[in-house]
Amino acid sequence: MRGDATSWDENAYRESILKEREIQTRTVFRTAWAPDGNPNPDTIVVASSDGVVASYSISSCISKLPLGFSNIKTQKFLAAEPISFLQGHNGPAYDVKFYSDDEATLLLSCGDDGRIRGWRWKDLTEVSVTLQGNDVEPILDLVNPQHKGPWGALSPIPENNAIAINTQEGSIFAASGDSCAYCWDVETGKVKVVFKGHSDYLHCIVARNSANQIITGSEDGTARIWDCKSGKCIQVIEPAKGLKSRGFFSRISCIALDASESWLACSNGRNLSIWNLPASERISTIPTRATVQDALFDNNQILAVGAEPLLYRFDMNGAILSHIQCAPPSAFSVSLHPSGVTAVGGYGGLVDVISQFGSHMCTFRSKSV
Amino acid sequence: MEVFKRAILQPGPPETFALQTVQEVIKPQKQTKLVQDENQFLENILRTLLQELVSSSVQSGEQIMEYGQSIDDRETTQGHIPRLLDIVLYLCEKEHIEGGMIFQLLEDLTEMSTMRNCEDIFGYIESKQDILGKQELFARGKLVMLRTCNQLLRRLSKANDVVFCGRILMFLAHFFPLSERSALNIKGVFNTSNETKYEKEPPHGISIDFNFYKTFWSLQEYFCNPTSLSLAPAKWQKFTSSLLVVLSTFEAQPLSDEEGDANNFEEESANFSIKYLTSSKLMGLELKDPSFRRHVLVQCLILFDYLKAPGKSDKDVPSESMKEEIQSCEERVKKLLEMTPPKGKEFLHKIEHILEREKNWVWWKRDGCLPYEKQPTEKKVVQDGAKKRRPRWRLGNKELSQLWKWADQNPNALTDPQRVQTPSIMEYWKPLAEDMDASAGIEAEYHHKNNRVYCWKGLRFAARQDLEGFSRFTDHGIEGVVPLELLPPDVRSKYQAKPNERSKRAKKEETKGAAHQAEDNQITIPSSEIDGEGIRGGVSAAMEFDATAIPGTQGGTSTPDDHQKQSSDTDVGQEAGQLEADAEVDAAMIDGETDADVDLDAVG
Repeated sequence: MRGDATSWDENAYRESILKEREIQTRTVFRTAWAPDGNPNPDTIVVASSDGVVASYSISSCISKLPLGFSNIKTQKFLAAEPISFLQGHNGPAYDVKFYSDDEATLLLSCGDDGRIRGWRWKDLTEVSVTLQGNDVEPILDLVNPQHKGPWGALSPIPENNAIAINTQEGSIFAASGDSCAYCWDVETGKVKVVFKGHSDYLHCIVARNSANQIITGSEDGTARIWDCKSGKCIQVIEPAKGLKSRGFFSRISCIALDASESWLACSNGRNLSIWNLPASERISTIPTRATVQDALFDNNQILAVGAEPLLYRFDMNGAILSHIQCAPPSAFSVSLHPSGVTAVGGYGGLVDVISQFGSHMCTFRSKSV
Repeated sequence: MEVFKRAILQPGPPETFALQTVQEVIKPQKQTKLVQDENQFLENILRTLLQELVSSSVQSGEQIMEYGQSIDDRETTQGHIPRLLDIVLYLCEKEHIEGGMIFQLLEDLTEMSTMRNCEDIFGYIESKQDILGKQELFARGKLVMLRTCNQLLRRLSKANDVVFCGRILMFLAHFFPLSERSALNIKGVFNTSNETKYEKEPPHGISIDFNFYKTFWSLQEYFCNPTSLSLAPAKWQKFTSSLLVVLSTFEAQPLSDEEGDANNFEEESANFSIKYLTSSKLMGLELKDPSFRRHVLVQCLILFDYLKAPGKSDKDVPSESMKEEIQSCEERVKKLLEMTPPKGKEFLHKIEHILEREKNWVWWKRDGCLPYEKQPTEKKVVQDGAKKRRPRWRLGNKELSQLWKWADQNPNALTDPQRVQTPSIMEYWKPLAEDMDASAGIEAEYHHKNNRVYCWKGLRFAARQDLEGFSRFTDHGIEGVVPLELLPPDVRSKYQAKPNERSKRAKKEETKGAAHQAEDNQITIPSSEIDGEGIRGGVSAAMEFDATAIPGTQGGTSTPDDHQKQSSDTDVGQEAGQLEADAEVDAAMIDGETDADVDLDAVG
């Protein structure tokens, strides 16, 4: 019995194949714990490569797990049902952050389409889930400016790779693909400051609010500290300076600031270097086995993930305190809840939630469109 | 009683007056040993006396064991009570009075005293351990002593009086023989009531991985009752999956030396608890605690050891897959123990050693708890060695020496006419003759001619007693040697010498000779095995044989002579040549025989 090929739709077939590939290679680029005042970690927001920004309830994930068994060994991961679901961006969503104001908490996301979008978190939690993901209109929608070329030609809209927030000033900082960082005003929705100086696109950005500065990391291998008022670069940090491995691995893929905002961790390639900002000195360099793709400070320890299924915990001197096996084969994001629970997101659309004991609370596959 | 009171106050060793005092009070029927009623009577007196002494010491506010102690300038006298005990102990030891009495008094005393005083009393008991442990006294008082000690243990707090508890246990361990079974868990019953309770509902307000918490503490159920694991495969599955989760969590968080050190100080303050604290709030702290981790890991090792040990029946042996899983888990646990500071490697080494010893106990128990103490009798032998040496066997052991001595003990054996005689060939060949009787129907493989030793002996007898028969060996082989009288008539005819036939057959002799020789050589083989010893007697034996052999050859030549007369003359030259050949063959054969004979002679 042969199939009838008369109505064969070549394009549909091609698309379905591509779709399938996309689903398999879907990647969680960022996870963020929702600030709901609950001491137990419950809601986590996941931004993934299909542009979806969805939130999941940890407790309901745990309750769906077979009791007494950790599912880390079994390759079939729990397909979690989101509690809210947004088709946030066309193309990948790269970053999500919560913007906590006195009035309301905003969920901000940015993505490959060069937009920064903001939703009221309250609206999202109240609205029941529909899978179209378009029913809640963003209350904030910022689009990166295009560059004017000769004869008025416009460049493509540069993507936003990361955002940072200064709630006091009411600003959102975006690390963009046009090697500029932008400071947006939340109230007016206008660009306040443009930080120009990097020679290649930006990977990451953090706000050092105590000094009204931002720190950006770029593909060009430097991290720069900028003054937000003047928009001038104060300091250029080159972690790869003096290291032999300059070149291919020299990009700054992630930057982390500690709570006191005086310590900086920035990765270039397979090194994670720790800087003391007041002294503007490098304290230590931690060599890692794989490229570090995200890092953050947990008091005076550093959590780092990279292109291997391990969550590392270093002390400030670079000694490995622990390494925990985690589900995503390559991890792009690590986020920490105040209770000590860590979420690692990465390739395969997987999010692994690891308790403060180092045990796996749950591992789930985020939902795609 | 008054007499005893006075006696206590008397100075000097108890030997001098103790027995007198008893005799004075009791006026016993026998001089040195009390009978049943008198013992009872004495015991009552002593117990009352002890009671009085204790109460008066309590009233005086002194330590019981020190009451009545007086410190002179020269010497310190004992307190009243130890004095009394000493006297009684002396009497018991010498078996003047019933041996259990001292134990009875000690039990009374501990029951009457406060815990503090008990410590002093126990010190006394420890100091007299050697005497109390003597066979006679021990047999009388072991149960009372055990009861006393157990009572004491029950009164003591396990957490606060650790040292005293330890002393008591040490004493018991020394007091009772090592293989004493009374305290043994012979059936290996597990204390399943030792349940580790943990929270079943997730707590409010704090965040923990409750699933992990439950998984972790659920392991204790299996540790508490390991038998359930080997019986139900489902449980084993659940256990291993839980254990793997816990192990990987441990592995994910290696503990640094710092944490180990921090814990060390804590341990020095002797904070030891018997049960785990299972509050979910403590989970995080406990996971960072090296000694906690050690406890859990050691529990695992103990459990694995139990599972690996063979049970009473062969059915209890774990399955192959289970064994593999145990093996892999055990390796992981050991690795973790090694990694856990402080001094992980040393710790693991010690634990392995202890578990190894434990295994020996398991085997001992399995074999039915055989006593393994070496009795001190052996020691005594060594001490008395000068007087009474154990006979030493000249040839290693009793049996060999006996064999060696037999010859000396039975000098007549060699000259006994019953034994020293050659059996007559008529008797000797009977079995073979029966074999040869076809009507007997004995199968060829059971024939005596297959027994080469039998044949050889027979040939030698024949050579001495029946030369004619012996000469038939040339033609008919061993069966020909059998005396014709023994054979049934039909068989007999076959072996009767037929001169005519013989001359014809002589022609074929040349070819046959080789075969004969081969046969002969074959026969010599067994004797050559015993060759070694025979060299000494070789010469004389050979000579002896020569003497017998000569008539043999003569006999051999004599028959051809007969043929010559009967056969035609034309044949003569040929015949003669053949005769020579024949003789040669015979000689060769005889040579072969000589060798063998020499050997046999030497052995015989």
